Parts: sequence; C-alpha cells; structure tokens
Amino acid sequence: MSQDTVRLIPSDEGSWRLDAYLRRGGYEAARKAVTSMAPAGIIAEVRKAGLRGRGGAGFPAGLKWSFVPQGVSGPKYLCVNADEGEPGTFKDRAILVRDPHRLLEGMVIAAFAVGIHTAIVYVRGEYERIAGRLREAMAEAEGAGFLGPDIFGSGFGLEVVIHFGAGAYICGEETALLESVEGRRGTPRLKPPFPAVAGLFRAPTVINNVETLANVPSIIGRGADWFTAQGLPKDCGTRLFSVSGAVRRPGLYELPTGIPLRTLIEDHAGGPPEGVSVKAVIPGGLSAPVLRADELEAHLDFESMALVCSMAGSAGVIVIGDRTPMLEVLGVMSRFYAHESCGQCTPCRIGTSWIHRTVTRIAAGQGRRGDLDLILSLADGIKGRTLCPMGDAAALPIQALVTKFRDELEQAVER
Amino acid sequence: MSGTKTVALTIDGRAVTAPEGANILRAAEQAGIDIPHFCYHPAFAAEGNCRMCLVEIEGLPKLELACSTPVREGLVVRTATPRVEQARRDVLEFLLADHPLDCPVCDKAGECQLQDHYDRYGRFPGRFVEAKQKKDKLVRIGRGLVLDRERCILCARCVRFLRNVTGTGELGVFERGARAEIGIFEDVPVDNAYAGNLVDICPVGAITAEDFRFQTRAWFLARKPSVCPLCSRGCAIVVESVTGYPLPEAKRRVYRVTAGQNPAVNGYWICDLGRAGRHDIDEGRPAGLLRKGVAVDGEPWQKALAEVTAAIKAVPGSDRPARIAVVLNARLTCEELARAKALFVTGLGLDRISFADRTPGTADGLLVTAERVPNSRGAFAAGFDPRLPTIEELTGATVLLVFGSGLAAHFSEEALGRALAAVPSKFLFAAHAGPLDRLFDLAFPLAVPAEKSGTYINVGGVRQSFERALSPPAGAVPEGEILTCLAHGLGLNLGDFDVC
Repeated sequence: MSQDTVRLIPSDEGSWRLDAYLRRGGYEAARKAVTSMAPAGIIAEVRKAGLRGRGGAGFPAGLKWSFVPQGVSGPKYLCVNADEGEPGTFKDRAILVRDPHRLLEGMVIAAFAVGIHTAIVYVRGEYERIAGRLREAMAEAEGAGFLGPDIFGSGFGLEVVIHFGAGAYICGEETALLESVEGRRGTPRLKPPFPAVAGLFRAPTVINNVETLANVPSIIGRGADWFTAQGLPKDCGTRLFSVSGAVRRPGLYELPTGIPLRTLIEDHAGGPPEGVSVKAVIPGGLSAPVLRADELEAHLDFESMALVCSMAGSAGVIVIGDRTPMLEVLGVMSRFYAHESCGQCTPCRIGTSWIHRTVTRIAAGQGRRGDLDLILSLADGIKGRTLCPMGDAAALPIQALVTKFRDELEQAVER
Repeated sequence: MSGTKTVALTIDGRAVTAPEGANILRAAEQAGIDIPHFCYHPAFAAEGNCRMCLVEIEGLPKLELACSTPVREGLVVRTATPRVEQARRDVLEFLLADHPLDCPVCDKAGECQLQDHYDRYGRFPGRFVEAKQKKDKLVRIGRGLVLDRERCILCARCVRFLRNVTGTGELGVFERGARAEIGIFEDVPVDNAYAGNLVDICPVGAITAEDFRFQTRAWFLARKPSVCPLCSRGCAIVVESVTGYPLPEAKRRVYRVTAGQNPAVNGYWICDLGRAGRHDIDEGRPAGLLRKGVAVDGEPWQKALAEVTAAIKAVPGSDRPARIAVVLNARLTCEELARAKALFVTGLGLDRISFADRTPGTADGLLVTAERVPNSRGAFAAGFDPRLPTIEELTGATVLLVFGSGLAAHFSEEALGRALAAVPSKFLFAAHAGPLDRLFDLAFPLAVPAEKSGTYINVGGVRQSFERALSPPAGAVPEGEILTCLAHGLGLNLGDFDVC
C-alpha cells in the first residue's frame, strides 16, 4: 500500500511505543484539533468523511457525535467498544497490540469534539494482557501531555479508564456495555432513550468501536477529502478484514471498502488450500448471513452486502471449505447464540435454545421430518421481535444457512 | 383532569384519547382494548422483556412494544392483525416450551396470566419435542415465599419491585440465556415487610406463599374489596374467602388477603401485616355469647342485650353522666361512631366516653403508619376526643360498656380485674376472645371490619367507604347493630343522623 493510504496496522519495530508513533506523525492530528479547530468543525469534518462505524452496524460516526446535546451541564462520556466478541473478528486486538496510540489519539479528538472529559475503554476480558499495551500507551501519552488534565497545554482534559468485560458476547451491544460498566448484569436497555442522550449513568454518551476511532486521526490530519478518496463514496476508507477458515493465508487485511469478496479471498488470502474449494463464506462476522460460492462477486461494503441479504458487519470473513458439513456450521452457530443470549427477552432466550436443541438432536442422528422448517419458523419468531439487535444477529444467519444449504441439511436430517 | 394534555389516536379503528405521555398499552386498556402482557406493570418503567405486547403501528416496519411506546397525536395502532396475533402465539410458544405445565398442582392456576393468555391468544398444537429443562422447583427465598424456577418466565417484576419499591433488592437475575434464573444473592434471603406483594405481581406460579400453597384453588375464592383495619393508612385490600364450595367445612374461611388498588392510598401494594390480617378475620373468634367468660349455648344476643338496657335504665337520668362509662375504639366506622355519639352523648347525656385501642407501633416510611387503628380521624370527625380511660373512671362506674379488647393493651389483667370487680354491671363487645372476657358479666361477639360496611377516614384524610366482604360468623354482629338495638331498647330514636 502506498504511503498515502490509511494504515491502521503499522509494521515498524516497536510500533506501539510513543516514539515510533511520533515518527509516523502521531498526535499531530490531535494537536491540530485541540489547539486550532472548533469542536463543531471536527464533527463536520468526520461527517464529511462518511466514516461509518466499524463495530458492525455501520452507523456514521460523525452523525452519532452530533446527537449528543450541546450546552447541557453535567458529565458526558466516551465509551470505546473493545469488546470484540463477534466470532471471526480479530481486528481491534491488532490495533490495541500494534497501534494503541492511534486509538488514544482518536479518542482525544472525539472527546474534544463532543466535549467529553472521561473515556472508558471497555476491553473484553480475554484481552487483559493485550490491554497492557494500551495501559503503557496511556502512561506514555500522559507523560507527554497528550492525555490527562491539560492536553497540549490547551486546558482540555481527558481521563481514560480501562474497564474489562467478563466474557459475555452481549456486552458488545452498546447498551448492555453501559450496564456492564455501571456494575450491573450486562443486558441491553430499551431504546429510546439512545445513549447519545442518556447513556452511561444516564449521561450523554458516545460509544464507538476501536477501529472507528483509530480512523479519526487520519481524517483530521489529512482532511475528509483525502479519506473519501479511498473506498466507496458512501462507505469510505479502508476496513480491517479478519480472514479465517479455508484459506492459505488467514489473517488481517487492511483494504479499501468495497473490494470484491473473491479478490479478498483469492488474491489476498491465497484462496483455499490444495484440494479444497470454497463452499460458503460468512462475510461480516458470524451474525452476517452466509453467502454461497456463487455469490463471491459481491463487494465488501455495507450497501453491497445488504443487496445480497447479508452484512458487512465487523468484516470478519469466515471461509468455509467444501469438506466442512453445513450441519456442523449450524451446530457451532446455534450453540454460540444459545450460549450467548443474555436471557432478558423471551424470543431470543428460548428461541435460540430451542433451535440449538433441535440442531443437536439432528446431529445425534435423531432428526425428524419438518425439523428444518421448525428451525426456520423459530427464527421467524425471533427476527424483528427482540429487545436488542442480537435477536436478528442470531435468527438471520441461521435462516440463511438453512435456506441456502437446505439440500445438504435435509440429508443430515433424513440420515 | 384539567391541565393534562391529551392526544388523539386510533387503536383498532377506534378513536381513542389518552393523556400525553401515556403508553399505548394503557391507552388501549382505558378504551377497553386488551393488549396481553407479562412483564409490564404500571408501577414500574417498561422493560420490554416478555415481548407479548407487540403491536402494529402504521408507518413502522417492525412490531413495536405497546408498553414502552408513548401515545402520539394521530398514531394508528392495530392490536389484532394476523402479524400481531402470530407474534403473540410465538411468545406463548416460547414461554411454554420449557414450562413444566404443572397447572394441576400449581397454586396460580385459575389466575395465571400464562394460562389466560394461552387460552385467549394461543391455542396452538405444541411443537416442542425436546426434553424440558429441569430447574429448582422449591427454593425458599425468605418471608415464607417459595420460588419455582421451572414456572418462572423471567419477567423480572419481582426484581424490579424489590429494587424500586422497597429498595431492598434481594432478588436478581443470574446466569444467561435459557439458563437465566431468579435468585437471592448468596444466602441473604428476601426480608422486608412488603415481600408478600411478590406473589401478587408474579404473573405465573413462580413465586407462591407458603401460607397459601396447596390450601385451595383460586377459582373457589370469592374476592371482595375492603379496607385494611390494621393501621391508619387504610390500604385497599381484597378479602378472598371460600363461599361454600367445595368443602362445607373448609380449613379456612378467608384463604388470603391480597392487595387492592387505590392510587390515592396504597397504589398497588400492601404490607405483610395487612396480608396477615386474614388471621384476625378467622382466628380467635368467640363461638358465641359469653357469660363471665363461659359460653352460653343457644342464647341469642338480642335477648342478652335486654340485660344491658335494663342496667342502663336502672340508673336515673340525672346520675347517668357520673355512673355510666363507655369505652369505644377507632375500629368503629364513621357511621357507627355517629350512632354512638347520638346514643351515648345526645340520647343518654353521657360524658364518660373514652377510647381504648392497640398501642401505636412505628411508621415504616412506606405504607405502615404508627397508628395501628383505621379510623382515629373518623373519631375526631364524629366529635369525639379519643383518650384512654383512667382506672378510677372505670372503677367509679355503675354500668360499664366496653367496645373492643383495647384495654388489655394498656392495663394489666390484674389491674383491670380489681377495677372491674367494683363495677356492678359491665358488658364487653369484642370480635376476638381474650383475657378480658371473664371479667365481664356478658361478652358479645362482634363482626371484624371485613365483615362490616362503612367508612374509614385514613391518616391523610381520605374517606373510604367499603362494603361487607364476607358475612360475620353466626351470632356475631357489627357494633352498629348493637348500638341500634340498644337505642331501640332504651326507647331512643337515633333518627336520620348524618354519618360522622
């Protein structure tokens, strides 16, 4: 990639250290923002850049910031979602490991733009060691005056706190994350009110994904026009694609949004290993409805993926080879959602468990005629009816898998 | 109400107005349209757990929660479309999948929301063929409450009640997904004076009271509203009694006292003292008239009352104020107090009228007041100045009429015995048998407040009229009837007195 494109994952020696980050031009964007830009101007620039949320929903980040009521007294919070629980996704950890200062710089800019003085980084429990890098970076940044009570001598202060999750997938859902930070059981809240109005401790709160915030320094440093020149007009920049499964070179690939799925899998990830062909691809984390091998021409951006009834999601691309039985994939999937449903609302709590028990029975060779229709119908009972998006996140991929690989699964039921 | 803005909307084709800020569920309810729900309770903010109240709103792609969506001008809501009906069936099917279906031995059967909603909105053939999850069915969570986790539908009303109303927070939801369950924290049980409400608000048979478990069936109970007489709050209660079927000699007459609703007094809750009031109604009641503490078989109270009138008549009119003493109490209704005033003050010209009631307790800051009687405001309103009698006042009487057992709370049995020994004619009127009975010439059995109609004025000045919730046992009568008969016997016309 040329010097002039976004690079979220640096490869220089000791890239996570402050001196290395400074050599790469680090904290210049934050300095520019805090010392020479008006908060509204920063928000306008990020809106203009069309930066969409990298956590999975793709909500425009600048728009989200603009929802926070201004001129209201009392605290406001920035919550950084580093819970990274979507199966098949391992991008945020790479930022935390290789470039924690970029995240911190993005946080400083976001906080300054919205008028926030306290930020919480919600890190998944399994990343406790990884978060050590973030903690070191925080100390370095504070020592250099890039973080803390008086950033760049401007009088603007930002305190950053790391909060560890305890292993629940649901805490990646923004309102469950807030509950968890507040010390309660992580279950989603009814919306409205939205977090921008009443979030953490009922104060206005911005919640952004790690990768989203890591994009902010380049947007402010180089301008929105530079950013929008990459990727697609409505979905700009690059994305960190986590590629796993039946490919020769699984790993993390930073590529412009909108690249064809086939290019990512074959050109970048080296295609399937010898003697294996691609049967299916889950394009955006486990919750993204599966695509068949004949759908690989689809492009990896939010809108193109919606056109094929899937999701760009968290950009976790799981490649399934022809030797993997789809019943096994369905088993993994249904177990995950049954295990991770928070249990708060009826359809998700019982629907996911019922589906999983049905799949388990089929796998045990006790399938009954009509089981696949039952699974589809149970997923219908979850879809669009739950308190939080996890209901759809469970129902849609299960329905897609059963619908698209019905013949293969039907054979497993009959067996 | 003036000052409250209303909005106009359409629900199922009907024009409905509702106060601004109300939710669709309440607006529909007020228009007589039932939107089934489990987790919503008007005392708490909507939580949207059960997903039973989903409705269609014109212009919105998904079904929306009736419990949490506020009404808006021009909103068009549909609650009975195929899509809504399907969503309800799906929720019921999910809830019933792992449900033990032990309705035949469940104390909630007959008043269970899951049963009722299935009956009205479900009625589908079951598709669940997996093994049902086994969970704890007998968890003693404190205060005589039993939790059955298999029946629980996780509406979390109980959790919210303890967090929002009592502020004690003894219950929480533990675990995740289908393993989620209600429980206490470690080994700290539910322990607050309002715990009984958990049984009332549990929409299914997950929380039941040991006092009621396996005693009767809900459909055998007649539910009659009354006012709790145990403190001056005067909470709305429901007295649930067996009306005859199936056992002519049921184990109890009143199986339980539950919370009634009165927004001006107690909202939706009552305390456990009020619930325990069922014992007051059924227990310790004398079988009939007592003479010196000994049961007199077959003697009607009306005949015995002639002895009281004779004793009063024997005192010459001018001597009456000095020689006739009356002890009343604040469990009398306003109507009875007015009658007492007309009889004893206006009619007989007495001035030795005192009050003896239960000793005060402490107020708990929620509902229970320090005053453990229901109608002391009524006594003031009737023109009495309630004060305790002195021992001398009792001793000096020739005729003594005592209503209620309150004296026992203020004087020792021995002191009363000595005082009353000097009184030639003394009569007791009391609902419960007690140590005083043997000190009196005659003890007449009275009705308890639940067996009376009348009016109480509560601590906040709220006048509450109530009807008799059940009949008194044979031979027991309300004070009002005693007073009327006494007046009749004395040839006094109490006339058309105004209540209180």
